[in-house]
Amino acid sequence: MKSKFTRIAGLVIGLSLGAFSAHALDGAVVIANSSVAADSLTADALKDIYTGKTKYWDGGQAVIITVLPDKTDAALQQACGMDTSSLKTFWQRLAFSGRGQEPKKADDAAGVVALVAATKGAIAIVPADATLTGVKKLDVK
Amino acid sequence: MLITKPIHKTILALTATIMAAGGAQAYELNLGTNMPPVDFHGFVSQGLLYSSSYNYLANNTKEGSFQFSEAGINASINPFDRTRISAQGFLFDTGNVGQYHPFLDYAQIDYTFSDAFGVRAGRIRRPSGIYNHIQDVDLARTFVLLPQGMYDARWRDWSAGLDGGELFGNVSLSKAGSVGYEFYGGLVNMAQNGGVARYIENGLPPSPIGAFNDINSTPVVGGQLWYNTPIDGLRLGGSLCFMDGFGYDVTVIQPYGPGPIHSTGDVLLQQYSAEYLWKKWTFQAEYYTYNFTGNKYAPAFGNANIGAAGDNPATWYVAASYQFNKYLQAGAYYTEFRDYSVSSTSSDGHQNDAALCLRVDPTDWWTFKIEGHYIDGTGLLRDDLHNPTRSDNGWFMLAVKTTFSF
Repeated sequence: MKSKFTRIAGLVIGLSLGAFSAHALDGAVVIANSSVAADSLTADALKDIYTGKTKYWDGGQAVIITVLPDKTDAALQQACGMDTSSLKTFWQRLAFSGRGQEPKKADDAAGVVALVAATKGAIAIVPADATLTGVKKLDVK
Repeated sequence: MLITKPIHKTILALTATIMAAGGAQAYELNLGTNMPPVDFHGFVSQGLLYSSSYNYLANNTKEGSFQFSEAGINASINPFDRTRISAQGFLFDTGNVGQYHPFLDYAQIDYTFSDAFGVRAGRIRRPSGIYNHIQDVDLARTFVLLPQGMYDARWRDWSAGLDGGELFGNVSLSKAGSVGYEFYGGLVNMAQNGGVARYIENGLPPSPIGAFNDINSTPVVGGQLWYNTPIDGLRLGGSLCFMDGFGYDVTVIQPYGPGPIHSTGDVLLQQYSAEYLWKKWTFQAEYYTYNFTGNKYAPAFGNANIGAAGDNPATWYVAASYQFNKYLQAGAYYTEFRDYSVSSTSSDGHQNDAALCLRVDPTDWWTFKIEGHYIDGTGLLRDDLHNPTRSDNGWFMLAVKTTFSF
Protein backbone atom coordinates (compact mmCIF):
# COMPACT_ATOMS: atom_id res chain seq x y z
CA MET A 1 0.00 0.00 0.00
CA LYS A 2 2.76 2.40 1.02
CA SER A 3 4.84 1.59 -2.07
CA LYS A 4 1.79 2.12 -4.30
CA PHE A 5 1.21 5.51 -2.64
CA THR A 6 4.86 6.39 -3.18
CA ARG A 7 4.64 5.46 -6.85
CA ILE A 8 1.48 7.51 -7.33
CA ALA A 9 2.99 10.48 -5.50
CA GLY A 10 6.11 10.22 -7.61
CA LEU A 11 4.01 10.12 -10.75
CA VAL A 12 2.03 13.20 -9.69
CA ILE A 13 5.20 15.11 -8.79
CA GLY A 14 6.83 14.07 -12.04
CA LEU A 15 3.83 15.16 -14.08
CA SER A 16 3.71 18.48 -12.22
CA LEU A 17 7.35 19.12 -12.87
CA GLY A 18 6.79 18.19 -16.47
CA ALA A 19 3.95 20.71 -16.70
CA PHE A 20 6.05 23.40 -14.99
CA SER A 21 8.83 22.97 -17.50
CA ALA A 22 6.52 22.13 -20.43
CA HIS A 23 7.72 25.16 -22.37
CA ALA A 24 11.46 24.64 -21.86
CA LEU A 25 13.18 23.82 -25.15
CA ASP A 26 14.85 20.44 -25.56
CA GLY A 27 18.56 20.85 -25.03
CA ALA A 28 18.49 24.52 -25.99
CA VAL A 29 18.09 28.00 -24.60
CA VAL A 30 16.84 31.28 -26.05
CA ILE A 31 19.30 34.16 -26.03
CA ALA A 32 18.94 37.81 -27.00
CA ASN A 33 21.02 40.93 -27.45
CA SER A 34 21.39 42.99 -24.26
CA SER A 35 19.34 45.78 -25.91
CA VAL A 36 16.24 43.57 -25.60
CA ALA A 37 14.32 44.67 -22.52
CA ALA A 38 12.43 41.40 -21.98
CA ASP A 39 13.83 38.77 -19.62
CA SER A 40 11.32 36.12 -20.60
CA LEU A 41 8.88 35.20 -23.32
CA THR A 42 5.79 33.08 -23.39
CA ALA A 43 5.86 30.13 -25.77
CA ASP A 44 3.23 31.90 -27.90
CA ALA A 45 5.32 35.08 -28.06
CA LEU A 46 8.37 33.07 -29.12
CA LYS A 47 6.34 31.39 -31.84
CA ASP A 48 4.97 34.73 -33.03
CA ILE A 49 8.53 36.01 -33.40
CA TYR A 50 9.75 33.02 -35.39
CA THR A 51 6.64 33.01 -37.62
CA GLY A 52 6.89 36.70 -38.44
CA LYS A 53 3.78 37.85 -36.62
CA THR A 54 5.91 39.91 -34.24
CA LYS A 55 8.60 41.83 -36.05
CA TYR A 56 9.45 44.46 -33.41
CA TRP A 57 10.20 44.37 -29.70
CA ASP A 58 8.00 46.47 -27.39
CA GLY A 59 10.44 49.36 -27.59
CA GLY A 60 10.27 49.44 -31.40
CA GLN A 61 13.61 47.76 -32.12
CA ALA A 62 13.45 45.33 -35.03
CA VAL A 63 13.58 41.64 -34.11
CA ILE A 64 16.62 40.08 -35.81
CA ILE A 65 16.35 36.30 -35.81
CA THR A 66 19.66 34.47 -35.89
CA VAL A 67 19.82 30.78 -36.73
CA LEU A 68 22.27 27.97 -36.06
CA PRO A 69 21.41 25.67 -39.01
CA ASP A 70 20.52 22.04 -38.19
CA LYS A 71 22.04 21.93 -34.70
CA THR A 72 18.89 22.99 -32.80
CA ASP A 73 16.16 21.60 -35.05
CA ALA A 74 14.30 19.85 -32.21
CA ALA A 75 14.12 23.05 -30.18
CA LEU A 76 13.21 25.08 -33.27
CA GLN A 77 10.41 22.63 -34.01
CA GLN A 78 9.13 23.08 -30.44
CA ALA A 79 9.35 26.84 -30.68
CA CYS A 80 7.64 27.41 -34.02
CA GLY A 81 6.76 24.09 -35.65
CA MET A 82 9.49 24.38 -38.29
CA ASP A 83 12.97 22.96 -38.68
CA THR A 84 15.87 24.90 -40.24
CA SER A 85 14.89 24.09 -43.84
CA SER A 86 11.24 25.00 -43.39
CA LEU A 87 12.14 28.16 -41.49
CA LYS A 88 14.49 29.21 -44.29
CA THR A 89 11.77 28.72 -46.95
CA PHE A 90 9.21 30.51 -44.76
CA TRP A 91 11.40 33.58 -44.37
CA GLN A 92 12.51 33.57 -48.00
CA ARG A 93 8.82 33.92 -48.93
CA LEU A 94 8.53 36.93 -46.67
CA ALA A 95 11.81 38.50 -47.75
CA PHE A 96 11.31 38.16 -51.51
CA SER A 97 7.80 39.60 -51.29
CA GLY A 98 8.86 42.59 -49.20
CA ARG A 99 7.21 41.40 -46.01
CA GLY A 100 10.18 40.49 -43.88
CA GLN A 101 13.93 40.07 -43.57
CA GLU A 102 15.69 36.72 -43.74
CA PRO A 103 17.28 35.49 -40.51
CA LYS A 104 21.02 35.85 -40.08
CA LYS A 105 23.01 32.68 -39.50
CA ALA A 106 26.30 31.38 -38.26
CA ASP A 107 27.94 27.99 -38.58
CA ASP A 108 28.49 27.26 -34.90
CA ALA A 109 27.11 28.18 -31.49
CA ALA A 110 29.97 30.54 -30.71
CA GLY A 111 29.32 32.35 -34.00
CA VAL A 112 25.61 32.70 -33.24
CA VAL A 113 26.33 34.01 -29.74
CA ALA A 114 28.82 36.54 -31.11
CA LEU A 115 26.31 37.66 -33.79
CA VAL A 116 23.54 38.07 -31.22
CA ALA A 117 25.89 39.97 -28.90
CA ALA A 118 26.78 42.38 -31.71
CA THR A 119 23.31 42.90 -33.20
CA LYS A 120 20.69 45.07 -31.55
CA GLY A 121 17.37 43.29 -31.30
CA ALA A 122 18.81 39.86 -32.11
CA ILE A 123 17.36 36.61 -30.79
CA ALA A 124 18.50 33.03 -31.27
CA ILE A 125 18.05 29.46 -30.07
CA VAL A 126 21.37 27.84 -29.16
CA PRO A 127 22.41 24.55 -27.53
CA ALA A 128 22.06 24.61 -23.76
CA ASP A 129 25.80 24.08 -23.28
CA ALA A 130 26.80 27.09 -25.39
CA THR A 131 28.96 29.75 -23.73
CA LEU A 132 26.72 32.80 -23.48
CA THR A 133 29.24 35.64 -23.54
CA GLY A 134 27.77 39.10 -24.01
CA VAL A 135 24.15 38.01 -24.39
CA LYS A 136 21.19 37.55 -22.10
CA LYS A 137 19.20 34.40 -21.64
CA LEU A 138 15.41 34.60 -22.06
CA ASP A 139 13.25 32.23 -20.05
CA VAL A 140 10.47 30.60 -22.02
CA LYS A 141 7.30 30.33 -19.95
CA MET B 1 17.18 21.64 -81.28
CA LEU B 2 17.04 23.32 -77.90
CA ILE B 3 15.92 26.93 -78.14
CA THR B 4 18.22 29.05 -76.00
CA LYS B 5 19.95 32.40 -75.90
CA PRO B 6 23.56 33.12 -74.96
CA ILE B 7 22.32 35.28 -72.10
CA HIS B 8 20.88 32.23 -70.34
CA LYS B 9 24.21 30.46 -70.12
CA THR B 10 26.08 33.65 -69.22
CA ILE B 11 23.79 34.53 -66.32
CA LEU B 12 23.79 30.99 -65.03
CA ALA B 13 27.55 30.52 -65.17
CA LEU B 14 28.29 33.92 -63.64
CA THR B 15 25.84 33.47 -60.82
CA ALA B 16 27.01 29.94 -60.05
CA THR B 17 30.55 31.28 -59.79
CA ILE B 18 29.52 34.07 -57.44
CA MET B 19 27.51 31.69 -55.30
CA ALA B 20 30.29 29.15 -55.06
CA ALA B 21 32.69 31.86 -54.02
CA GLY B 22 30.45 33.58 -51.51
CA GLY B 23 28.33 30.75 -50.21
CA ALA B 24 24.83 31.48 -49.05
CA GLN B 25 25.53 34.43 -46.77
CA ALA B 26 23.52 37.56 -47.33
CA TYR B 27 25.53 40.62 -48.15
CA GLU B 28 25.49 43.63 -45.84
CA LEU B 29 26.35 47.23 -46.53
CA ASN B 30 27.47 48.99 -43.39
CA LEU B 31 26.61 52.65 -43.50
CA GLY B 32 29.32 53.59 -41.02
CA THR B 33 26.92 55.40 -38.70
CA ASN B 34 24.58 54.33 -35.91
CA MET B 35 22.26 53.04 -38.60
CA PRO B 36 21.88 49.28 -39.02
CA PRO B 37 23.38 47.74 -42.15
CA VAL B 38 21.49 47.32 -45.41
CA ASP B 39 20.80 43.63 -46.10
CA PHE B 40 21.00 42.29 -49.63
CA HIS B 41 19.54 39.02 -50.94
CA GLY B 42 19.05 37.73 -54.45
CA PHE B 43 18.46 34.79 -56.70
CA VAL B 44 18.79 33.64 -60.29
CA SER B 45 16.65 30.86 -61.75
CA GLN B 46 16.95 29.15 -65.10
CA GLY B 47 14.42 26.64 -66.34
CA LEU B 48 13.93 24.27 -69.23
CA LEU B 49 10.50 23.43 -70.60
CA TYR B 50 9.79 20.50 -72.91
CA SER B 51 6.38 19.34 -74.10
CA SER B 52 5.30 16.32 -76.12
CA SER B 53 2.62 18.31 -77.94
CA TYR B 54 1.90 22.02 -78.27
CA ASN B 55 4.08 24.95 -77.32
CA TYR B 56 3.17 25.99 -73.83
CA LEU B 57 4.44 28.98 -71.84
CA ALA B 58 7.31 29.43 -74.31
CA ASN B 59 7.40 29.50 -78.09
CA ASN B 60 9.06 26.20 -78.93
CA THR B 61 8.68 23.87 -75.99
CA LYS B 62 8.10 20.97 -78.40
CA GLU B 63 11.80 21.24 -79.16
CA GLY B 64 12.78 22.25 -75.63
CA SER B 65 13.05 25.87 -74.54
CA PHE B 66 15.12 27.84 -72.04
CA GLN B 67 12.69 30.81 -72.27
CA PHE B 68 11.95 30.44 -68.56
CA SER B 69 14.18 32.54 -66.30
CA GLU B 70 13.94 34.90 -63.35
CA ALA B 71 16.39 36.97 -61.36
CA GLY B 72 15.85 39.29 -58.44
CA ILE B 73 17.90 41.30 -55.99
CA ASN B 74 16.54 43.05 -52.93
CA ALA B 75 17.75 45.37 -50.22
CA SER B 76 16.18 46.19 -46.87
CA ILE B 77 16.94 48.26 -43.81
CA ASN B 78 15.26 49.12 -40.52
CA PRO B 79 16.44 52.75 -40.26
CA PHE B 80 14.15 53.73 -37.37
CA ASP B 81 12.02 52.02 -34.77
CA ARG B 82 9.15 50.03 -36.28
CA THR B 83 10.14 51.17 -39.77
CA ARG B 84 11.42 49.16 -42.69
CA ILE B 85 12.40 50.26 -46.17
CA SER B 86 12.87 47.62 -48.84
CA ALA B 87 13.09 47.33 -52.61
CA GLN B 88 13.58 44.59 -55.17
CA GLY B 89 14.70 44.72 -58.80
CA PHE B 90 13.51 41.92 -61.02
CA LEU B 91 13.75 40.58 -64.52
CA PHE B 92 12.25 37.52 -66.15
CA ASP B 93 11.60 35.78 -69.42
CA THR B 94 8.65 33.47 -70.04
CA GLY B 95 8.16 32.87 -73.74
CA ASN B 96 7.31 36.22 -75.34
CA VAL B 97 6.78 37.94 -72.03
CA GLY B 98 9.40 39.67 -69.92
CA GLN B 99 12.29 39.49 -72.35
CA TYR B 100 14.82 40.21 -69.57
CA HIS B 101 13.75 43.83 -69.23
CA PRO B 102 14.64 44.82 -65.64
CA PHE B 103 12.05 46.62 -63.58
CA LEU B 104 11.29 47.68 -60.05
CA ASP B 105 9.38 44.78 -58.52
CA TYR B 106 8.64 46.43 -55.19
CA ALA B 107 9.82 49.54 -53.36
CA GLN B 108 8.07 50.30 -50.14
CA ILE B 109 8.18 51.69 -46.69
CA ASP B 110 6.22 50.17 -43.86
CA TYR B 111 5.53 51.24 -40.31
CA THR B 112 4.31 48.68 -37.78
CA PHE B 113 2.37 50.25 -34.94
CA SER B 114 1.79 46.87 -33.32
CA ASP B 115 1.43 43.19 -34.27
CA ALA B 116 -2.21 43.98 -35.06
CA PHE B 117 -1.73 47.06 -37.25
CA GLY B 118 0.75 48.38 -39.75
CA VAL B 119 0.79 50.46 -42.93
CA ARG B 120 2.78 49.95 -46.09
CA ALA B 121 3.09 52.25 -49.11
CA GLY B 122 4.85 52.26 -52.44
CA ARG B 123 5.04 49.54 -55.03
CA ILE B 124 3.92 46.43 -53.22
CA ARG B 125 3.37 42.78 -54.00
CA ARG B 126 -0.32 41.92 -54.08
CA PRO B 127 -1.43 39.24 -51.63
CA SER B 128 -3.82 36.59 -52.91
CA GLY B 129 -3.84 33.00 -51.81
CA ILE B 130 -0.83 30.98 -50.83
CA TYR B 131 1.49 31.90 -53.68
CA ASN B 132 0.46 35.08 -55.55
CA HIS B 133 2.93 37.38 -53.78
CA ILE B 134 5.80 34.89 -54.36
CA GLN B 135 4.65 33.25 -57.61
CA ASP B 136 7.92 33.97 -59.41
CA VAL B 137 10.30 33.10 -56.56
CA ASP B 138 11.33 29.55 -57.41
CA LEU B 139 13.15 28.80 -54.16
CA ALA B 140 10.08 29.65 -52.07
CA ARG B 141 8.13 26.55 -53.13
CA THR B 142 8.42 22.86 -53.99
CA PHE B 143 7.10 22.98 -57.57
CA VAL B 144 8.59 24.37 -60.77
CA LEU B 145 5.21 25.33 -62.22
CA LEU B 146 2.38 26.38 -59.95
CA PRO B 147 -1.16 25.55 -61.14
CA GLN B 148 -1.21 27.86 -64.15
CA GLY B 149 -4.94 28.50 -64.19
CA MET B 150 -4.40 30.32 -60.90
CA TYR B 151 -0.77 31.51 -61.13
CA ASP B 152 -0.11 32.02 -64.85
CA ALA B 153 3.61 32.69 -65.22
CA ARG B 154 2.90 35.01 -68.15
CA TRP B 155 0.37 37.19 -66.31
CA ARG B 156 2.53 38.66 -63.56
CA ASP B 157 1.89 42.24 -64.75
CA TRP B 158 -1.78 41.67 -63.92
CA SER B 159 -1.40 39.69 -60.74
CA ALA B 160 1.88 40.36 -58.98
CA GLY B 161 1.75 43.92 -57.67
CA LEU B 162 0.30 47.37 -57.47
CA ASP B 163 1.36 50.95 -56.77
CA GLY B 164 -0.48 52.09 -53.69
CA GLY B 165 -0.67 51.03 -50.11
CA GLU B 166 -1.99 48.52 -47.67
CA LEU B 167 -2.98 48.03 -44.06
CA PHE B 168 -1.72 44.82 -42.48
CA GLY B 169 -1.56 43.02 -39.20
CA ASN B 170 -2.26 39.90 -37.18
CA VAL B 171 -5.01 39.96 -34.57
CA SER B 172 -4.83 37.39 -31.79
CA LEU B 173 -8.04 35.56 -30.90
CA SER B 174 -6.43 33.99 -27.86
CA LYS B 175 -7.26 30.28 -27.75
CA ALA B 176 -9.20 30.59 -31.01
CA GLY B 177 -6.02 31.32 -32.98
CA SER B 178 -5.42 34.54 -34.88
CA VAL B 179 -6.44 36.38 -38.03
CA GLY B 180 -3.89 37.91 -40.38
CA TYR B 181 -5.08 40.56 -42.80
CA GLU B 182 -3.87 42.73 -45.65
CA PHE B 183 -6.18 45.35 -47.22
CA TYR B 184 -4.78 47.19 -50.22
CA GLY B 185 -5.66 49.78 -52.81
CA GLY B 186 -3.85 51.37 -55.71
CA LEU B 187 -3.11 51.00 -59.39
CA VAL B 188 -2.17 47.88 -61.35
CA ASN B 189 0.23 48.83 -64.14
CA MET B 190 -0.54 46.61 -67.12
CA ALA B 191 2.40 46.01 -69.46
CA GLN B 192 1.78 46.81 -73.12
CA ASN B 193 3.66 43.65 -74.07
CA GLY B 194 2.74 41.62 -71.00
CA GLY B 195 0.93 38.33 -70.70
CA VAL B 196 -2.58 39.79 -70.56
CA ALA B 197 -1.92 41.93 -73.65
CA ARG B 198 -0.68 38.80 -75.43
CA TYR B 199 -3.81 36.91 -74.32
CA ILE B 200 -6.04 39.63 -75.79
CA GLU B 201 -3.94 39.68 -78.97
CA ASN B 202 -4.30 35.91 -79.23
CA GLY B 203 -8.08 36.31 -79.46
CA LEU B 204 -7.92 38.66 -82.45
CA PRO B 205 -7.95 37.76 -86.14
CA PRO B 206 -4.41 37.47 -87.46
CA SER B 207 -2.57 40.62 -88.52
CA PRO B 208 -3.17 42.73 -90.55
CA ILE B 209 -6.86 42.20 -89.93
CA GLY B 210 -6.57 42.36 -86.15
CA ALA B 211 -4.17 44.43 -84.04
CA PHE B 212 -3.68 45.02 -80.34
CA ASN B 213 -3.26 48.70 -79.51
CA ASP B 214 -3.30 49.46 -75.81
CA ILE B 215 -4.13 48.26 -72.31
CA ASN B 216 -4.73 50.63 -69.44
CA SER B 217 -3.58 50.70 -65.85
CA THR B 218 -6.40 49.78 -63.54
CA PRO B 219 -7.47 50.96 -60.08
CA VAL B 220 -7.70 48.05 -57.66
CA VAL B 221 -8.87 47.40 -54.13
CA GLY B 222 -8.85 44.13 -52.26
CA GLY B 223 -7.84 42.13 -49.30
CA GLN B 224 -6.49 38.83 -48.04
CA LEU B 225 -7.52 37.25 -44.76
CA TRP B 226 -5.80 34.29 -43.13
CA TYR B 227 -7.35 32.47 -40.19
CA ASN B 228 -4.59 30.74 -38.25
CA THR B 229 -6.68 28.12 -36.51
CA PRO B 230 -6.06 26.64 -33.05
CA ILE B 231 -5.07 23.41 -34.83
CA ASP B 232 -1.31 23.70 -35.13
CA GLY B 233 -0.28 24.03 -38.78
CA LEU B 234 -3.75 24.67 -40.21
CA ARG B 235 -4.69 27.97 -41.78
CA LEU B 236 -7.63 28.99 -43.97
CA GLY B 237 -7.65 31.97 -46.31
CA GLY B 238 -9.93 34.08 -48.44
CA SER B 239 -9.12 36.85 -50.88
CA LEU B 240 -11.19 39.33 -52.87
CA CYS B 241 -9.88 41.80 -55.44
CA PHE B 242 -11.90 44.33 -57.44
CA MET B 243 -10.45 46.02 -60.51
CA ASP B 244 -12.42 49.06 -61.58
CA GLY B 245 -12.53 49.95 -65.25
CA PHE B 246 -10.10 47.42 -66.70
CA GLY B 247 -9.85 48.29 -70.38
CA TYR B 248 -7.99 47.67 -73.61
CA ASP B 249 -8.04 48.84 -77.22
CA VAL B 250 -7.79 46.71 -80.33
CA THR B 251 -8.50 47.23 -84.03
CA VAL B 252 -10.25 44.91 -86.44
CA ILE B 253 -10.19 46.51 -89.88
CA GLN B 254 -13.30 46.84 -91.97
CA PRO B 255 -15.08 44.95 -93.45
CA TYR B 256 -14.05 42.27 -90.94
CA GLY B 257 -14.75 44.55 -88.00
CA PRO B 258 -15.75 48.08 -87.02
CA GLY B 259 -12.19 49.38 -86.84
CA PRO B 260 -11.04 50.51 -83.39
CA ILE B 261 -12.74 48.73 -80.50
CA HIS B 262 -12.52 49.82 -76.88
CA SER B 263 -13.43 47.21 -74.26
CA THR B 264 -13.92 48.15 -70.66
CA GLY B 265 -15.41 46.57 -67.60
CA ASP B 266 -14.88 45.51 -64.01
CA VAL B 267 -13.11 42.45 -62.70
CA LEU B 268 -13.82 40.62 -59.47
CA LEU B 269 -11.29 37.99 -58.37
CA GLN B 270 -11.94 35.51 -55.60
CA GLN B 271 -9.53 33.00 -54.10
CA TYR B 272 -10.02 30.56 -51.26
CA SER B 273 -7.19 28.59 -49.68
CA ALA B 274 -6.39 25.95 -47.11
CA GLU B 275 -2.97 24.84 -45.96
CA TYR B 276 -2.02 22.24 -43.37
CA LEU B 277 1.53 21.62 -42.21
CA TRP B 278 1.86 18.33 -40.34
CA LYS B 279 5.28 17.01 -39.41
CA LYS B 280 7.18 16.84 -42.72
CA TRP B 281 4.02 17.06 -44.83
CA THR B 282 2.41 20.10 -46.44
CA PHE B 283 -1.13 19.83 -47.78
CA GLN B 284 -2.70 22.61 -49.82
CA ALA B 285 -5.93 23.27 -51.67
CA GLU B 286 -7.12 26.42 -53.44
CA TYR B 287 -10.00 27.63 -55.59
CA TYR B 288 -9.75 30.70 -57.81
CA THR B 289 -12.10 32.47 -60.15
CA TYR B 290 -12.42 35.86 -61.75
CA ASN B 291 -15.34 37.50 -63.49
CA PHE B 292 -14.70 40.20 -66.09
CA THR B 293 -17.94 41.84 -67.19
CA GLY B 294 -17.95 44.77 -69.56
CA ASN B 295 -18.82 46.08 -72.96
CA LYS B 296 -17.18 46.82 -76.29
CA TYR B 297 -17.49 50.20 -77.96
CA ALA B 298 -16.74 51.35 -81.51
CA PRO B 299 -15.28 54.89 -81.46
CA ALA B 300 -15.59 55.14 -85.24
CA PHE B 301 -19.35 54.70 -84.91
CA GLY B 302 -20.11 57.26 -82.25
CA ASN B 303 -18.87 54.97 -79.51
CA ALA B 304 -21.73 52.59 -80.14
CA ASN B 305 -22.00 49.64 -77.78
CA ILE B 306 -21.30 46.68 -80.03
CA GLY B 307 -21.64 43.90 -77.51
CA ALA B 308 -20.63 42.43 -74.20
CA ALA B 309 -17.06 41.67 -73.19
CA GLY B 310 -16.42 39.09 -70.56
CA ASP B 311 -14.42 36.24 -69.17
CA ASN B 312 -15.20 33.90 -66.29
CA PRO B 313 -12.78 31.02 -65.74
CA ALA B 314 -12.23 28.99 -62.58
CA THR B 315 -9.38 26.86 -61.28
CA TRP B 316 -8.88 24.57 -58.32
CA TYR B 317 -6.08 22.34 -57.15
CA VAL B 318 -5.01 20.00 -54.37
CA ALA B 319 -1.34 19.47 -53.55
CA ALA B 320 0.85 17.56 -51.14
CA SER B 321 4.58 17.70 -50.53
CA TYR B 322 6.95 15.85 -48.22
CA GLN B 323 10.33 16.97 -46.92
CA PHE B 324 12.54 13.88 -46.58
CA ASN B 325 15.45 15.85 -45.18
CA LYS B 326 17.13 19.19 -45.76
CA TYR B 327 18.34 18.02 -49.17
CA LEU B 328 15.25 16.40 -50.66
CA GLN B 329 11.57 17.21 -51.12
CA ALA B 330 8.89 15.64 -53.30
CA GLY B 331 5.49 17.00 -54.23
CA ALA B 332 2.43 16.32 -56.37
CA TYR B 333 -0.67 18.23 -57.37
CA TYR B 334 -3.78 17.88 -59.49
CA THR B 335 -5.49 20.93 -60.94
CA GLU B 336 -8.47 21.66 -63.17
CA PHE B 337 -9.05 24.83 -65.18
CA ARG B 338 -12.37 25.67 -66.81
CA ASP B 339 -13.11 28.48 -69.24
CA TYR B 340 -16.88 28.87 -69.11
CA SER B 341 -16.91 31.15 -72.18
CA VAL B 342 -15.81 28.21 -74.33
CA SER B 343 -17.83 25.12 -75.11
CA SER B 344 -17.21 22.32 -72.63
CA THR B 345 -16.77 19.89 -75.54
CA SER B 346 -13.80 21.88 -76.88
CA SER B 347 -10.29 21.14 -75.70
CA ASP B 348 -9.90 24.91 -75.24
CA GLY B 349 -12.59 24.89 -72.59
CA HIS B 350 -10.48 23.13 -69.99
CA GLN B 351 -6.99 22.09 -68.96
CA ASN B 352 -6.39 19.44 -66.31
CA ASP B 353 -2.90 18.80 -65.03
CA ALA B 354 -1.36 16.11 -62.82
CA ALA B 355 2.17 17.00 -61.70
CA LEU B 356 4.94 15.22 -59.84
CA CYS B 357 8.05 17.07 -58.66
CA LEU B 358 11.37 16.32 -57.01
CA ARG B 359 13.32 19.17 -55.40
CA VAL B 360 16.97 18.79 -54.39
CA ASP B 361 18.91 21.36 -52.31
CA PRO B 362 22.54 20.19 -52.52
CA THR B 363 23.69 23.33 -50.68
CA ASP B 364 22.17 26.32 -48.90
CA TRP B 365 22.47 28.39 -52.08
CA TRP B 366 21.64 25.92 -54.85
CA THR B 367 18.27 24.33 -55.67
CA PHE B 368 17.47 21.90 -58.49
CA LYS B 369 14.02 20.67 -59.47
CA ILE B 370 12.65 18.20 -62.00
CA GLU B 371 8.94 17.94 -62.64
CA GLY B 372 6.65 15.96 -64.94
CA HIS B 373 3.13 16.88 -66.00
CA TYR B 374 0.36 14.92 -67.68
CA ILE B 375 -2.03 17.44 -69.19
CA ASP B 376 -5.47 17.01 -70.68
CA GLY B 377 -6.94 19.99 -72.55
CA THR B 378 -5.56 23.15 -74.12
CA GLY B 379 -7.46 25.91 -72.32
CA LEU B 380 -4.34 27.59 -70.97
CA LEU B 381 -2.16 27.49 -74.09
CA ARG B 382 -3.46 30.92 -75.13
CA ASP B 383 -1.14 30.93 -78.12
CA ASP B 384 -2.97 29.99 -81.34
CA LEU B 385 -0.06 31.18 -83.50
CA HIS B 386 2.25 28.48 -82.17
CA ASN B 387 -0.53 25.91 -81.65
CA PRO B 388 -2.80 26.12 -84.71
CA THR B 389 -4.17 22.61 -84.25
CA ARG B 390 -5.48 21.47 -80.88
CA SER B 391 -7.33 18.38 -79.73
CA ASP B 392 -8.36 16.70 -76.54
CA ASN B 393 -5.62 14.08 -76.50
CA GLY B 394 -3.49 14.07 -73.39
CA TRP B 395 0.06 15.36 -73.55
CA PHE B 396 3.17 15.55 -71.38
CA MET B 397 5.40 18.36 -70.17
CA LEU B 398 8.79 18.24 -68.48
CA ALA B 399 9.95 21.24 -66.44
CA VAL B 400 13.45 21.47 -65.01
CA LYS B 401 14.74 24.43 -63.05
CA THR B 402 17.81 25.42 -61.09
CA THR B 403 18.18 28.40 -58.74
CA PHE B 404 21.16 30.04 -57.10
CA SER B 405 20.45 32.35 -54.18
CA PHE B 406 22.14 34.38 -51.49
